[in-house]
Order: sequence, then C-alpha cells, then structure tokens
Amino acid sequence: MPGKFGTPTDPDYALRLAEFEARIARGEKIEPGDWMPEEYRRQLVRMISQHAHSEVVGMLPEGAWITRAPSLKRKMILIAKVQDEAGHGQYLYHAAETLGISREEMLEALLSGRAKYSSIFNYPTLTWADIGTIGWLVDGAAIKNQTMLAQCSYGPYSRAMVRICAEETFHHKQGKEMVIAYAKGTPKQRQMAQDAINRWWWPALMMLGPHDADSPNSEVLIRWGVKTKSNDTVRQEFINEHAPEILATGLSLPDPELHQDPQGNWRHGPINWEEFWSVVGGNGPMNKERLEARRRAHTEGAWVREALEAYAAKKSPIPMAV
Amino acid sequence: MSDTQWPRWEVFKQDTPNKPHQAVGSVHAADPLHALLTARNVFVRRPQAVSLWVAPASAIFSVTQEELAEGPKPSPESTGVAGAYLLFRKTSHKRSMTFVDYVGQLEAPSPQAALEQALRQFTDAEALAWWVIPASSVVRSEESPETVESWFAPAKEKTYKQQSYYGVVGTHTSKLRGRGGADES
Repeated sequence: MPGKFGTPTDPDYALRLAEFEARIARGEKIEPGDWMPEEYRRQLVRMISQHAHSEVVGMLPEGAWITRAPSLKRKMILIAKVQDEAGHGQYLYHAAETLGISREEMLEALLSGRAKYSSIFNYPTLTWADIGTIGWLVDGAAIKNQTMLAQCSYGPYSRAMVRICAEETFHHKQGKEMVIAYAKGTPKQRQMAQDAINRWWWPALMMLGPHDADSPNSEVLIRWGVKTKSNDTVRQEFINEHAPEILATGLSLPDPELHQDPQGNWRHGPINWEEFWSVVGGNGPMNKERLEARRRAHTEGAWVREALEAYAAKKSPIPMAV
Repeated sequence: MSDTQWPRWEVFKQDTPNKPHQAVGSVHAADPLHALLTARNVFVRRPQAVSLWVAPASAIFSVTQEELAEGPKPSPESTGVAGAYLLFRKTSHKRSMTFVDYVGQLEAPSPQAALEQALRQFTDAEALAWWVIPASSVVRSEESPETVESWFAPAKEKTYKQQSYYGVVGTHTSKLRGRGGADES
C-alpha cells in the first residue's frame, strides 16, 4: 500500500511537513499509508534495504563454519544464529516493502552490486574463534545501533528492530561466552581468541559509520526521528561497554592509544577510514566472493522458485490479483 | 533476467488463545501452505504462538483514517464480492509489536460495505487504520492440539536460542565502569 509521499513542490507541502514533524515530536509512529516526505521515504528505503542485505550477506562468513563447529552444542547454536540472520533479512525486506519498493527490485540491487551492505561482512573468517568474536564484537556493535533504531519514527522499521534486538542478544551472549572460554583455556586457544579480537576490533568500530562530521545524512535522519543518536555517540557506547569487558578477560585490544578519560569514557586512537572507504568501495578482502556467493545461490535456486510457482498455478487455490 | 520472489502474504499471529490475531509482517510464498510454513519459520522461531493466519496482500482492502475522511476508496478488484469479511483495526499511534489486530467477522456485499458496517459496529476505540479481508482469502494453521504442539512448541523448547540460557557471562560492564575512571572518586 504505497502511501502519500510529499515533495517540496506540492502546494500543501509546508503545512503537511509541519503536521508530520509535530506527529514525530509527540512520539507517534508513522505507518504505511500515512503522509510522509518523499525524502523520508527515500532515506528509509536506503537504510532498511541496506540493513536487510547486511543480514543476508552476513550469513555467509558464519555459515561457512557450520560444518566445522567443534561440538554438537556449538553447531546447534551456530545453525540457530544463521537461521535468525535469514529471518532478520525477511523482517527488514518486509519493512522496506511497506514503502512501495518490491522484493525483486531490492534483490536486483544487491545482486547487481549497486546496493551496499555492511562493510564488516567483507572480511574473512579465518578460524573458529572468529565465530565467537563476531558474536561478541560485531553483533555487540549491531545491537547498539539496533537498540537506537528500535526507537525509530517509522512503525514497521521500529517493530522489525524490536524483534531483531531480542534475538541478537542471544547472538551477542553466545559469542561472549565462547571467547571468554577460550581466553581461560589453553595457550593455543587464548592465542586464537587474541588473534580474532585483533582482526575484528577495528572493523567493528568502523561498522558504526563515519564520524559525525563526515556523515552527510545524519542531520535529517535525526530531525525526523529515524536515528535518535549519532554514529560517534553509538560508537562511544559500544567501546565503553566492550573495552573493559574484553580487557577483564586478560585479552588485549589492538589500539595502543586506547585509554579511559577523566569522564570514564574509553577513547580510541585514530580509525583507518581509508581502509573503511576502500572496503565500502568494493575492494575489501571478500567483496567479490560475497557477491559471487549470493549470485550463485540465486541462480542455483531459480528452479525451486519456478517449480513452486508451477505447482501453485496447477492447484490455484486462491485467485491472485497480480 | 526474469525473476520472481512469489506473491506477498500478510501474516497474522495469535500469541495465546485469549489474544486476537495480529498483523506482524509479511512473507513471500507460492501457495497458502508455503506461506503458512514460511510465516512459522520467520515469525515464530521464538516466543510463542498458538495460531497463524495468512492472506495474500493483493486481497487486502486497506484504509487509513485520513483516507476515510477524504471519501470512498476503491478496493482491489479481486475482492469486490458478497460474503464474509474479516476486519482488522489499528488503534494506537504509539510503538507496538503489531500493525492491525483482528476485531471480528461480518457478512457484507463488498469490502466497502463491510468497512461501513464495521465503523458502526466496532466503536469501542478510535480506528487509525482498517484492513478488510475476504474470509475466503484467509488461510489458517490447523487447530488440532497435535499441530499446535508440533508447529509452535519448538520455539520454547530450544533453550540455547534464548539469551537467558547464558546467564551473566564474565564480569558485567557495570562492575567494570569505575576502574581507573572518575566514578571511583
């Protein structure tokens, strides 16, 4: 149900925009079918579809380790986690669809390489300890962002985030539990956990987005209640929670400048934004492979989609308007 | 490249026997059973449910309060027939986990007529949005105890999927905050 999307050239735009902003100020949720500025819709489609793609691509680095899990328990946990990521992609694609974009359009954007997804998934998972570290750091960073987005002014996105946060908390805890177990384990296990932390710490800080001064969309997103906190604020919350917890395990963090300031905030050294933009631009270690894996899955699944459609057409239990 | 992601179905989930079916989101599926199974895998991996309904998105007549004020709205062609209609309503501007909730079923010659009847009949709360769906388009999960058990119990039984299974892991951040920082003074 495409709503009414206003543009500044509409005669009543100023009036409707004022009503819209007053609704957000009152804490009301904007729902499908309600009037909204076209720019609000455009920004939400961009954010939600990127978020959905990230969940879908995010299955790849972890899915590769399901067959190599060290115990049945860890394998069951990882299968449940990867299944959750698939479900999160579905919630989010649905939320974007309420804004009038189709699933086919979004998938085409992903498979053609036009759409972006979180840069973090373009790094490789080299050892089993990466699975725990992704849970603790990557899902830990994602939860900080998603808890903020659960307050979002757009109803369907906010609802998807509430569901996702509840499930991500399991992802975060199983990862933390695993890394702590290895930190307390044999020297070899400890070394494996340290190596994983060393490789994922900086990408986890980067995945929360550019510094506020370099984040062009932030102002309008905050004004319209899509984001309620800036990238740097969310990143600070993440570091303040995770830095002391990781250090308490006896593991170290790969940042010689990391320190706690007099206010109690953990301050990080300079982030290598050149690396971030290079990965976003398609030149990360795994960009090509991730996209190829998605394309292959799509192509190899075509016969399933066609077969189910043929079966449905034969049975035709419900008249379907197209 | 021609592609299909199958038609979209709206999903209605009932958490407990005393609660109404609530619109939780949508899935893509080729046929009704496929839609129900996908709805189970997407929306009931955890917490709880006792029943699921699905309806093709194309069969839903959706009207907001604002649109209602502007005058009659045409309904989707495929649904303009006499028969039983299910009515769903949204009553809050605040954040909730669902969009519209089921309020009841009535007989009407068209979706518009069903909506007019509903406006007279369901007056206990202000309606911000309505969904009107022909009963013949709604497909329901089986109500037998065996089906309810096999479809919905695993969501509760796989405790390793709950964060509470892990308890407090390590030292909680609140215990570490003061170390070396200003809070200690």
